[in-house]
Amino acid sequence: MVTPLSTPRAAYVHVPFCAHRCGYCDFTLVAGKDHLAGRYLAALEQELRTLGQPREVETLFVGGGTPTQLAADELERLLELMREWLILTSGGEFSVEANPAGLTEEKVEALHRYGVNRVSLGVQSFSAPLLEVLERDHREADIERAIERLRGGIENISLDLIFAVPGQTLENWRETLQRAIDFGPDHISTYGLTFEKGTAFWARRERGELLSADDALERSMYELAMDLLPEHGLRQYELSNFARAGRECRHNEVYWAGLGYYGFGPGAASYVEGVRRTNHRSVTTWLKRMEAGDSAVGESEELSIEGRAREAIWLGLRRTRGIGRKRFRESFGVDLEVLAGETIRRQVDAGLIDTEGDRIRLTREGRLMADTVAVEFL
Amino acid sequence: MKPEHIRNFSIVAHIDHGKSTLADQLLLKTGAITERQFREQILDDLDVERERGITVKARAVAIHYTPPEPGSPTYELNLIDTPGHVDFHYEVSRSLAACEGALLIIDAFQGVQAQTVANAYAAIESNLEIIPVVNKIDLPVTRVDEVLEEVETILGLDASGALKVSAKKGTGVEDVLDAIIQRIPAPNGDPKAPLKALVFDSKYDPYRGVITYLRIAEGTIRKGEKIKFLKAGTTHEAIELGQFRPGMVECDQLGPGQVGYIVTGIKELGNVHVGDTVTHAAAPTSSPFAGYKDPKPMVFCGMFPIDATDFEKLREELEKMSLNDASFSFAPETSDALGFGFRCGFLGMLHMEIIQQRLEDEADVGLIQTAPNVTYEIAKRDGEVFLIDNPLDVPDVGRIEEFREPIARVTFILPASNIGVIMQLCEDRRGVYKTTEYLGPERAQLIYELPLAEIIYDLHDKLKSATRGYGTMDYEVIGFRAADLVKMDILVKGARVDALSTIVHRDMAERRGRQLVKKLKQEIPKHQFEVALQAAIGARVIARETISAYRKNVTAKCYGGDITRKRKLLQKQKEGKKRMKQFGQVEIPQKAFLSVLEAGNED
Repeated sequence: MVTPLSTPRAAYVHVPFCAHRCGYCDFTLVAGKDHLAGRYLAALEQELRTLGQPREVETLFVGGGTPTQLAADELERLLELMREWLILTSGGEFSVEANPAGLTEEKVEALHRYGVNRVSLGVQSFSAPLLEVLERDHREADIERAIERLRGGIENISLDLIFAVPGQTLENWRETLQRAIDFGPDHISTYGLTFEKGTAFWARRERGELLSADDALERSMYELAMDLLPEHGLRQYELSNFARAGRECRHNEVYWAGLGYYGFGPGAASYVEGVRRTNHRSVTTWLKRMEAGDSAVGESEELSIEGRAREAIWLGLRRTRGIGRKRFRESFGVDLEVLAGETIRRQVDAGLIDTEGDRIRLTREGRLMADTVAVEFL
Repeated sequence: MKPEHIRNFSIVAHIDHGKSTLADQLLLKTGAITERQFREQILDDLDVERERGITVKARAVAIHYTPPEPGSPTYELNLIDTPGHVDFHYEVSRSLAACEGALLIIDAFQGVQAQTVANAYAAIESNLEIIPVVNKIDLPVTRVDEVLEEVETILGLDASGALKVSAKKGTGVEDVLDAIIQRIPAPNGDPKAPLKALVFDSKYDPYRGVITYLRIAEGTIRKGEKIKFLKAGTTHEAIELGQFRPGMVECDQLGPGQVGYIVTGIKELGNVHVGDTVTHAAAPTSSPFAGYKDPKPMVFCGMFPIDATDFEKLREELEKMSLNDASFSFAPETSDALGFGFRCGFLGMLHMEIIQQRLEDEADVGLIQTAPNVTYEIAKRDGEVFLIDNPLDVPDVGRIEEFREPIARVTFILPASNIGVIMQLCEDRRGVYKTTEYLGPERAQLIYELPLAEIIYDLHDKLKSATRGYGTMDYEVIGFRAADLVKMDILVKGARVDALSTIVHRDMAERRGRQLVKKLKQEIPKHQFEVALQAAIGARVIARETISAYRKNVTAKCYGGDITRKRKLLQKQKEGKKRMKQFGQVEIPQKAFLSVLEAGNED
């Protein structure tokens, strides 16, 4: 059986390039510094080498930044490196994030050739004014063209959408969802816009130049997604994720199940044998460290047995299937009842958690208040 | 040491005018400390004080100095340090009583300020030789001539002999030493007379017990002698005798004019009374000092442990505080909302903040502090008159004949252009105008009588913002006066939270009530249900706000790289929750209990 301490069967690679940093984004990336791509690829190879030997994995995920910001030959070099060090088992899932703008035929063809079978497309919105608020560099036509190109060889297409954008109405969100559904994707992720400290949006909101969406409106938008998407065969399987049966992102499910994974690139995290290491979040620091032969790790923590189990509760509750008590005991060596029986009962009384047979999971109201619930399990 | 070679002096100043820096320079120039030991504000040995740049507890340092002129004798200069803030007036005057002279420091740019006036008057009343010292002459912009004029017009002192120094750079410090020797009178006193020594301060030392600060007026005290505290009527042995130089240095005897300490084995600070007379048990003096009144706390607040099991721990911590500070008092109290805690009394707001800060730094107890209030005097219909220090002790309205509040005489010194704003501020706070005096073309002194409750509410902050920091104030409580006062309660989701009750003037109740519930609305987080906030006088609701229900609280993105960060964020939320107090279903954060005070900053 796979437990948190088993050898990871999943790997993440972070590509920190973007044409431009959007106002809400606090991810690890450099904007407008594509000339660093060569150094990045060399450093990434250095980091992959620390594996000692190629590893077999069941899921691969290339995220960013914008992986497709790399030029076609650089993208190929990246995929080549991954093929060398991270061996995907047959039937494995290979995801890459892509931006609608600049997703050329050539790049799609490269992805296909190297076995990428899932692309997560950063659509965010179809409406020009909202895309402008979000500072995205693509327009509706780019989205259509990108999906068209992906259909050429990528079997599993996911669309990312953002709601609660300043100025967005519930009606606009309904249209956004409908428009996305009409493309017939296998998977949709919906993210409520958050204002992260350190971003331009945060500063603008502090200055009163930008207004975050009303709490009640945001709630309605989220509820709309939870109602509308399943009607079209996209079942909610995690707080922000909806998929056709069998098209759930297997890689991301590793995170929520509390299982191990490798991570490469600046800001990437790995979870190996109960130790979570996060690489340095500064791209240049990561580069310099790799070039100097130093460790890329910026921060690392080893969770106690109980800490691991507690984390697995709030992470596990993000999945609509929730947590199975038997499985939990086998994986974490501790009984859910002993660890959090009282808390679970309180949340059941508050109507935020449901128990059914062996399983506990968030109710619909609980999904709306997931962080409130999570705090109780820390 | 012969009395003619002794000089006892204080340094008094408005806050931040450089008192501590000059004190350090005097120690440095006379070799009492080395350059290496010279650090900012060496006399302030409590962290709190260093942070605030003010000296809270008086200290006395004996400096030995030999002037460079050939044949000069060695002098003993006793520097008796004083606190500068309004709350500690009392400590200032008792320190001054041990001196013959005072250095009055005035900032070369800021000039005479409210506490300069208060301190100068205290020194004048104590009949001290006052040496004006204009400090910070190294500043790029100074107004030395105008400042000297202020010294003459406002304080009525002769400024012709004023010294000009830069304590920071060390400029003019020798002149200060010369002036101390030349101008401050030597103490007199007969070394053979019966012992008569003034207790001017005391502090608690965990190893030696109470350390009593003495100024010898007459006679000589020797190590091992039986001595008597005349007012307390207790007899002890002078186990240890010494001086602060600035560390404690033991000696065998102290003679007339000298300043030092004795250790007597007394364990509790409360058993040593400042102002008491120390004499020989066998041959007591026939003319003891008049003594001082004990300072009365005028500002009170409740302090409650967040975790009820910390009650005893909190008591121990408060006891520790009171060991070192006789003017701080506390007594157990019970609140429906907050459980068991203590009613704590302070000299003023600064005193309260200092104690609170010290508790936070030194004690590992989560605290909820209620908004401060002043002491009130209530005359009941049945003729009984008593003081209350807690709004919850207000009797039924029908039984009150007269509700009286403490009134303070407030002195403002401020730019003349701000007079209008400050007068308006005082009028709005029920002030009674007394006088205005122009101190020059641009500065004025304004005197008002104001309820102390209004002063602690927000007056100081308002003054600072209205005058962009240039206005200063000082106050002195002058007595109680009847007023139309009522108790205002706060209801959270229908239930009265007793710890939020306050006493307000009837005419201001509605405005204060509105401000308060508005402020509480910001402080209390959203819940999964609506929370109604009401202010009420008796059964009549005078203000209302509603905190809407939390509708959504979920982090959208949580993948591999987010998990650690996310958990830390949740952890923080959890810590925040721990600092909240549960009332029925509603969680109220610590800070909310101080809203009563901050509500005024909104208008």
